[in-house]
Amino acid sequence: MKPTPFEYHRAETTEEAVRLLVECGEEAKVLAGGQSLVPTMNLRLAQPSALIDIAGIGGLAGIAREGGSLRVGATTRQSAVLADPEIAVDAPMVAEALRWVGHEANRNRGTFGGSAAHADPAAEIPAVLVALGADLEITGPRGFRTVPAADFFVSFFTTSIEPDELLTAVRLPSRHGPWAFEEIARRHGDFALVGVAAALVVDEQGIVGACDLVLMGVDDVPWSAQAAQEVVVGNRVTPELAREARAVIESTVEPSSDVHASSCYRSHAAGVLVERALLKATGRKEQG
Amino acid sequence: MTESGGFPYPGGGRFVGARVKRAEDPRLLTGEARYAADIQLPGMLAVAFVRATEAHARIESIDVTEALSLPGAVAVLTAADLDVAPVPLPFEFDGLAAPPQPALARNKVRFLGEPVAVVVAENRYQAEDIADRVRVRYDRLGVVVSPEAARAADAPLLFEDLGTNVLFERTESAGDVEGAFAEAAHVFRKTFHTNRFVACPMEGRGVVAHYEPRADHLKVWSSTQTPFLLRTTLAAVLPYPEHRLQVIVPEVGGGFGAKMSTYPEEVAVAAASLKLGRPLSWIEDRRENLLAANHAKEQQITLELALDTEGQILALRAEHVGDAGAYNFNSTSCLIEPFIGARNLPGVLRLRNYEWTVVSVATNRSPVGAFRAVGSTPGSTTRDAFLDEIARQLGIDVVKFFRKNMIRADEMPYHQATGQVYDSGDYIGSLDQAVELVDYAGFRRRQEEARSEGRYLGIGFSPFVEATGWGSEIAKSQGLPFSSHDNASVSVDPSGMVTVATSMASQGQGHETSFAQVAADVLGVDVATVRVTQGDTDVSPYGMGTFASRSAIIGGGSVLLAAEEVRKKVLAIAAKTLEASAEDLEIADGRVAVKGAPQRGLSYPEVAAIAHWDLGVRSDDDGHRLAATRFYDPPATFSNGCFVALVEVDPELGTVKLEKIVGVEDCGRVINPMIVEGQSHGAVAQAVGGALLEHMVYDENGGLITSTFMDYLLPTALDVPPIEIAHMETLAPHTAGGFKGMGEGGLMSAPGAIVCAVVDALSPFGAVLEELPLGPEQVARMAGSLATEGGHS
Repeated sequence: MKPTPFEYHRAETTEEAVRLLVECGEEAKVLAGGQSLVPTMNLRLAQPSALIDIAGIGGLAGIAREGGSLRVGATTRQSAVLADPEIAVDAPMVAEALRWVGHEANRNRGTFGGSAAHADPAAEIPAVLVALGADLEITGPRGFRTVPAADFFVSFFTTSIEPDELLTAVRLPSRHGPWAFEEIARRHGDFALVGVAAALVVDEQGIVGACDLVLMGVDDVPWSAQAAQEVVVGNRVTPELAREARAVIESTVEPSSDVHASSCYRSHAAGVLVERALLKATGRKEQG
Repeated sequence: MTESGGFPYPGGGRFVGARVKRAEDPRLLTGEARYAADIQLPGMLAVAFVRATEAHARIESIDVTEALSLPGAVAVLTAADLDVAPVPLPFEFDGLAAPPQPALARNKVRFLGEPVAVVVAENRYQAEDIADRVRVRYDRLGVVVSPEAARAADAPLLFEDLGTNVLFERTESAGDVEGAFAEAAHVFRKTFHTNRFVACPMEGRGVVAHYEPRADHLKVWSSTQTPFLLRTTLAAVLPYPEHRLQVIVPEVGGGFGAKMSTYPEEVAVAAASLKLGRPLSWIEDRRENLLAANHAKEQQITLELALDTEGQILALRAEHVGDAGAYNFNSTSCLIEPFIGARNLPGVLRLRNYEWTVVSVATNRSPVGAFRAVGSTPGSTTRDAFLDEIARQLGIDVVKFFRKNMIRADEMPYHQATGQVYDSGDYIGSLDQAVELVDYAGFRRRQEEARSEGRYLGIGFSPFVEATGWGSEIAKSQGLPFSSHDNASVSVDPSGMVTVATSMASQGQGHETSFAQVAADVLGVDVATVRVTQGDTDVSPYGMGTFASRSAIIGGGSVLLAAEEVRKKVLAIAAKTLEASAEDLEIADGRVAVKGAPQRGLSYPEVAAIAHWDLGVRSDDDGHRLAATRFYDPPATFSNGCFVALVEVDPELGTVKLEKIVGVEDCGRVINPMIVEGQSHGAVAQAVGGALLEHMVYDENGGLITSTFMDYLLPTALDVPPIEIAHMETLAPHTAGGFKGMGEGGLMSAPGAIVCAVVDALSPFGAVLEELPLGPEQVARMAGSLATEGGHS
């Protein structure tokens, strides 16, 4: 389990990283925390010609408040995000989801942006970014752009980042409405068999004004459960409504099978988790 | 708790039975221990294997031209270059067609991952690059990945010469099985298919071979459980004179049976070093370990049970079909799962009428071999699940059902229907202690209350009996008649310090501590003055090594016997010097003195100095050198105990939360309770994996889907619940020291306990065991939460 030969570049600045991406071409890969990339290379499933290490770029790590949102630098370690007091208040679902990401040792190295850019459809962070309506900041030779999370994830391990571009930060909006994060994995720390990130807006009468239900592990991207969301919006969340949403999920979701669970089980579990998430979110004392 | 005072040495009994801290741990815990991967020799080269990428194919050609042009390439050796014999069976076995695996595939590959060529390079990175460029052209053959497929009339044959894929088939019986079934009030029958899971030692295999032509010396370091058997085997197949061959076992990070057989890779690396005259290092990586180190545990077992109206067992029929994988290792590995499984399935049951059929079938999968509680895990798990299901159907509490059918203490020694003679133990007593420890009645109340809140708790029991310390007698009674023994040397050096050299080899069992405890008590010295050496064939006397729970009995026994002889010599020298009779002397705390006159005595250093240097004493009798080597081949002895699992199940999602696992262990005289408990903890962790997580899955082309730890799921510390172990101590009546073996019971029995607990939790849903392991999908299906299999498209 040794990787094939590759060049190694350590970028000092974002500009240098972008220049290296241009120079090294499409076979180059960005190395941040390495928690997915390095094992894939050791198994020789990925054979990049060059690695561009961005972990040493000073400005890329850290969490800052910018207006109504929190800007999380791409190389901020997951454990730092999990421990951040402002995240706990303004984006508690991010903190909850991070507890499901690998184990502490993985989170100490793994980066917040790295997980987004890796775009595993069974991973926690991508689903949460879509549910919260986060924005992703991308820099490249053609300049800077911002992409909403809903447009960022394109397919399995594929995002809208071009080969010569770099994800530099994630902007998390403050959302204080009811939320829940539910997941089932074979073991704690494994990728989800299925999971759901639920973020709601509920008025004083308990009527749901907005509902984002984003599932992981059921599609090639984080999957927004449109039909189930429509069932919920405009209504009060009751056990009956949650049950109805569950039925809608089970009949609309089309996950694939693998060695850990069949499509049938995943559909069933997705429904159960959505039902539980809705009840938990609305039963939870509102935070913040 | 263990009472140490019973150890029958005057002034002794200080250490045997005590929680002596392990002598091994400081170096293990600080990272100072040296494993195979830590060995560095001048001029050493790295080895990687080219492994078969087809599960069954004829090798048309192997092109190494491009590979040899890469940086760092030294050699690429194929079967044509390494002319070594396949590893033979250690003994004749009637009716067994056991095709051995060649060191490197010759003409044909039979499983994915089979070694095809040895690549030698300056470093492992380069070796893997080179291995990737060795072009092997295969002509694909039909693939069989299950015993059913392999037994089909038109199945492709792995070994054309045999004319069949069935390597072994035999039915044996005891008593009047047919008669008992004819008069039975109830007959139950069910087929179970257990999951294939593997030892996964933290350290994979590793071999360093160093041939020095001018010294005419071949030195092989291997992460093995059996250094002497490896030496003998290498000497035979390479061939190379055994007296010029040295095997050294460095620190070993776990074996669990999977490092017991001699592997083709061990032979290939040694042969390559002989050919090249260079030191070579092969350190197995995890993917190789999952692909090509022996697999285990998978059996298809059909059970048929006859009961009378009172729920008394009248007779049992069992058919065990084992998937041998593609080859047989030199330990009759293709046989051991179904053969030992069937022989030990009756276990604690009082059984007069038993018929058992054993079938072993070759398939295009990784060869099967030993793994802790060999054969017995599937047998025990299915028996427990079967009895549990029957008890539920009959409306009998499962503990009562067990108690009614278990062998009683007053029936010892008990002649089991399989021909085994259980020497001692209170099996029902162990069950009763377990029942008490978990507060069974209280649990049933708690279970009732929880159900009313929509929570599902369950409990499962698995009493076990464990054939241990495989000497020749027990091997014969198991139907695998190999001759078995080990040796130990005990010596006292001129300064009075004690060295024990044993033919056992530790993979983490704590031999350096427990053998030192035994020697210290027999000699009457402090345990700190005893050092145990092992795992170097140049240093220790010959023996079989560490597997099948042999070390405490045979290793401990041979140390005890050798130490007794040295003790006699110490007494004789002291008697002569003190001008007293040996019978009037006693030894305590490192001092030999006249009974009742402690001032008339000698310290160990004084006795040792006299023995070595005092011409008056020494010249008297050459036997006064303070050393002895003793051979031990013990009579059969069986440990017993009971594991209980307490679980909570989410019937909708199918998740299982283990609340606690409780074990009662009776392994005879306990040498070190801490080590015994550690063994049980490790076995339970593996049981959790086997019951809930671990499964080797192949696709229809013989491709291994679970070839990384992403897909082959080991339990982590988070998945292992709190474990409580209690000790019973029924001394073995016939073995030296009263020791019995232990360490396998947890993996024999705890999986069944977990499975039964899950079924019990889901009993309101009418759940029965259908498929293993119990992943969330299987459990949700058992609870009726999911549509029938594949129902959703």
